[in-house]
Amino acid sequence: MSEPTAQALIAQQQRRQILQQRWRLPLAILASLAVGFAMTAMVSKEPLRAFLTLLTGALPRLQWSPEEGWRLLRMVRFGAVIEDAVTLTFLGLAVALPFRARQFSLGADGQMFLAALAAAAVSLYVPGPAVVVLPLVFVAACATGFAWGALPGVLKTRYQANEIVTTLMLNLIAIQFYRLLVSGCLRDPGAGFLVTPLLPDRLILPLLLDKTNVTVMLLLAPLVVGLAWLLLMRTTWGYEIRLVGQAPAFARQAGVPVERAVWLSMACGGFFAAFAGVHISNALLKRLPVDLTPGLGYEGLVVALLARNEPRAIPFAAFMYAYLRTGAQAMERTTDVSREVVLVIQALMILLVVSERLLPRLAEAWRSLVLLRRGAP
Amino acid sequence: MSISLTPALALQGVSKLYANGTLANDNVSMEIAAGEIHAVIGENGAGKSTLMKLLYGLEQPSSGRILLHGRACVLRDPRQAIAAGIGLVPQHLQLVPSLTVAQNVVLGCEPTRGLGQLLHGRAAVQAVSTAAQRFGFQLDPHAVVGDLSVGARQRVEILKTLYRGARIVMLDEPSAVLSEQEASALFASLRRMAEQGLTVLLITHKIREIRSACDRFTVLRGGCVAGGGNAQDFSDAAIGAMIVGRTLSAASAATPARRPPGQNAGALVGAHGLTAKRADGRVVLSGVSFEIGAGEILGVAGVEGNGQDVLAHVLCGLRAPSQGHADIDGAVFTSRGVRRARAGGVAAIPEDRLHDGVAPAMSIIDNAMAVQYHQAPLSRRGWLDPAAMQGFARGIMARCRVAAAAPEALIGTLSGGNMQKIVLGREIASAPRFLIASQPTRGVDIGAAQALHEQLRALRDTGAAILLISADLDELLALSDRIMVMSQGEIVAHFPARQVDPGVLGGYMTGALHAAGAAALLASPFTASHAQAHHEEQA
Amino acid sequence: MTPELLSWGLLLAGLLAALLRAATPILLAALGGLVSDLAGSINVALEGLMLVAAFFGVIVSAHAGTWFPQLAPAWYPWLGCLAGVLAALALTGVLAVCHLEWGADLIVAGIAVNILAAGLTVFLLASLVGDKGSTAALNSPVLPSLHWPVAPDRPWLNVLLNGADGRGHHVLLYVALLAAPLLALFLKYTRYGTWLRAVGENREAAFNAGIPVRQVQYAALLLSGALAGLGGIYLSMGYLSLFQADMTAGRGFLALAAIFLGARSVAGTFCAAMLFGASAVLATQLGAQQIPTQLVYMVPPLVTLLALVAAGARRRARKARL
Repeated sequence: MSEPTAQALIAQQQRRQILQQRWRLPLAILASLAVGFAMTAMVSKEPLRAFLTLLTGALPRLQWSPEEGWRLLRMVRFGAVIEDAVTLTFLGLAVALPFRARQFSLGADGQMFLAALAAAAVSLYVPGPAVVVLPLVFVAACATGFAWGALPGVLKTRYQANEIVTTLMLNLIAIQFYRLLVSGCLRDPGAGFLVTPLLPDRLILPLLLDKTNVTVMLLLAPLVVGLAWLLLMRTTWGYEIRLVGQAPAFARQAGVPVERAVWLSMACGGFFAAFAGVHISNALLKRLPVDLTPGLGYEGLVVALLARNEPRAIPFAAFMYAYLRTGAQAMERTTDVSREVVLVIQALMILLVVSERLLPRLAEAWRSLVLLRRGAP
Repeated sequence: MSISLTPALALQGVSKLYANGTLANDNVSMEIAAGEIHAVIGENGAGKSTLMKLLYGLEQPSSGRILLHGRACVLRDPRQAIAAGIGLVPQHLQLVPSLTVAQNVVLGCEPTRGLGQLLHGRAAVQAVSTAAQRFGFQLDPHAVVGDLSVGARQRVEILKTLYRGARIVMLDEPSAVLSEQEASALFASLRRMAEQGLTVLLITHKIREIRSACDRFTVLRGGCVAGGGNAQDFSDAAIGAMIVGRTLSAASAATPARRPPGQNAGALVGAHGLTAKRADGRVVLSGVSFEIGAGEILGVAGVEGNGQDVLAHVLCGLRAPSQGHADIDGAVFTSRGVRRARAGGVAAIPEDRLHDGVAPAMSIIDNAMAVQYHQAPLSRRGWLDPAAMQGFARGIMARCRVAAAAPEALIGTLSGGNMQKIVLGREIASAPRFLIASQPTRGVDIGAAQALHEQLRALRDTGAAILLISADLDELLALSDRIMVMSQGEIVAHFPARQVDPGVLGGYMTGALHAAGAAALLASPFTASHAQAHHEEQA
Repeated sequence: MTPELLSWGLLLAGLLAALLRAATPILLAALGGLVSDLAGSINVALEGLMLVAAFFGVIVSAHAGTWFPQLAPAWYPWLGCLAGVLAALALTGVLAVCHLEWGADLIVAGIAVNILAAGLTVFLLASLVGDKGSTAALNSPVLPSLHWPVAPDRPWLNVLLNGADGRGHHVLLYVALLAAPLLALFLKYTRYGTWLRAVGENREAAFNAGIPVRQVQYAALLLSGALAGLGGIYLSMGYLSLFQADMTAGRGFLALAAIFLGARSVAGTFCAAMLFGASAVLATQLGAQQIPTQLVYMVPPLVTLLALVAAGARRRARKARL
């Protein structure tokens, strides 16, 4: 019986690791969906129908009728999926970029709020044709997001302030500032509740799908994703960010400006969050309410994690997330299961994906079980 | 010194073979009597730390026996070792900075009262004061450990072992972090411990300590016992010879052509009074000055931890010296950060390849371009050129003959030798005028090591200056034109490479010879022209 | 006492009482977070832990009558309190296992637990109560408040000890006020407290000294979960007498900030929690004075940022002196 050499063992271990890496996400998705199903089974009288609605509820329905031929129904629902996916794509990029430099920036919420504010302010108060003002809207929003992202970055590099705490605090400040302005100088005096005036028609992004809020942002989203990818993979800045995230000591030794890479990654994150802000103000809501719910930024975090911080995978993760969320809303409307079950599914997905040793441990346990069976005749 | 018939600690034929094939200890046998201070001495890699791990239960011997007071025992983990009466004072102190001395000493086995949870602070303080007095340690049990000096902290560690009932105390390179006075105070304390019947095992590489502090010693070389005996019976030089005692290996015997001194144009790189201090104020580099001529390799010999790594960091720009500067052709490059230093023509191979030399999870291309990515042709105005990047990486791989993988492969999948070839190739590709090479062939197979040496020589032939820091004497002797020895942050010796005897070199490295052999020293500043003058003098 | 002084005294006492009531949940969660942070594990899931405890506390105490008919009604809220703490402990257990056994990044896992808690509580709320907003339909009991009899000639003392509404402070408020010094004593004078600090400061040293590091890490996380749970129970069984979706409203994150603002010490955390409570109270007061509440709510995070910057600046100055 030949003893496996050390080299062969190492190679076998490496192969196993690669296999496990590839299977972790799909298995995590399956496992969390299974738990979600178990949960619906516990509370619902028709769990199968409920769960099926969760998985298919967001889809538009193709219907044939002799008068009108093929029609796509339920586009409003699917439109909601697309809108959500677009917002989450931008927010996912906002979290993924700092993550590549190993920075836990949770500031996407605040950056988005301030950027939305800037976009609305420019839309409301800067006169001129759309051709001139709309780009200004984007510029104002992106500059705001960039600055609000750079701030915790600088605090980290100059004062070693933990970026989790600083971004959380800056989120709180940003949201309060937003509420201050919306209920103060940006307030629409004619409206019955605290909200900005309706943004001028010419500055609302044109629709792509009737009766939905799917706008040209849908076309902009892949461009922005492409921009993020280009930034990360084809520019010196992106290279620095990646290197600092992977091997900070080596980066320092090679002369890479580590501090700049750190705050730049966070600032670029804010830049991308700004697009979500513009999307919310000029496409989705068309006016900013004071009670805009914070928390979307953390969903961007989930998307980034599921996409393993890879820009090109983020739209897909965002779409899946939005798809499940809308499916859950459909499920809630038509069955007796509430839509929060999808939050539980997503939380479990994250936990399973980041529990790095879980799969190897299970695999080992499985192998020893098999060996045991084989050993005992 | 009491002599009992049964040695307190005995090793019989102990060997340790690691899974990767390294034979760290080879048939080591030694006997240590109770009440004796015994030194285990040897260079880095001689097997000292492995021996210590075996005795403390951190590893198991592959063969042989360990006997405590004549009885064979198996030490499966440190807890068993502690129960058997063996204590270890590690080189990197394991203390909790915000707790007091007393709290640290009793950490893990605090005396309690009441329901068994309330700390009996007074009992701890009492025990610590008693022990401290008994062995002559000047320690205040209420002092916070974070505020203490290194020497005091070490004594806290020793007290920790004594509190747990150790009868055999092992100290791992204790004087590596101590000043002269602190070291003397330590040895005085150790002597008092031995007088009370404790056995002390000193793991060290410093010869001077042996005669001043120890009764007997054992020399390890290449994992085997190379000698030993009573400290009084041997001279420093004799011990040094036992430690280093190697014949020039065949590779270095056939020395390839070195540039004769006369052809040097003059000093290219000059270091002037480089001084550096640690965070606690301790001086780690003290007035280091030297010159390297164009096309010259200056080797730095010395046991690790004597300032060579600090020197490398200062010269490559990672760290600013508190005093002094270094320049190339008169242009100062220290204290300006790494990028400016590199722009001035400095390149560096770091000592810890996996941590500082490569990004293991990134591709060979990404690693190869790390130094020059911001310049054409790899990037223009911030835009990377993937084709140029690939070509660049391929070029380096071809020049260094790394055929093992595609440029897109992760560099972490390469062998150590191939990785180092890429590292060196990358540095050479930046056409440096001064290369700092720290331990360039550590963890590298022989074939790759020879290729790396060829590359270094080729770089030298282009007129660059090279500072070669290495713990491998063969390598130093084969490549260097001149060799200087660093000890305690200073340059203590300096020879032309052809005229040095390995035994003498070892003597300076281990501190046996210390400014005593004046004939071996060249006058400072240690320049090439002086080397030439000396050479002519000797001839 | 002059009537002016009296009214000032009453006002101050009222503010102080309100401050304590507002700070209690933050203080409890912050003390919990401090324990786990001192042991080297930063617990960002405080928000979610508070939420589950608040929810299960209400549910169990409301249904205790039907589940345990023999039990005297006075015990229902205590049963709910126990259930809430157990729920928080269970969730903390998930976090601990994922991090300590399976190598999940603690911060990411903590965020996931927050999302899990938010989803789970509303899901169960809808299924068990039928209302996604709150449990107002259930008539859930609250934990008792402690009332001190005060002589009528000291109205300000009455307001201070019994609150502006005279009903007395909640029992958990006293628990919070006691927990701080108890925790300080625990950390300083007990063996386990020393072990906890050792594990957080130098894990290797602790391991080599024979301290059961894994056990201590688990214990620290679980203790932080229990304290955060108490903070959540205060919200749903004291502050209010029902559970509302997202009723923690960011207090868990404020607790985290309080730890950093308080320089990771018990006294500092206590003061920081009081500061955050004060700002909540001031917001309502100043709202009446035409100062926008949003500005007041900005104060705690701003103060935290400034404190972090100051600490970093001090470190820079020290390094520059070398």
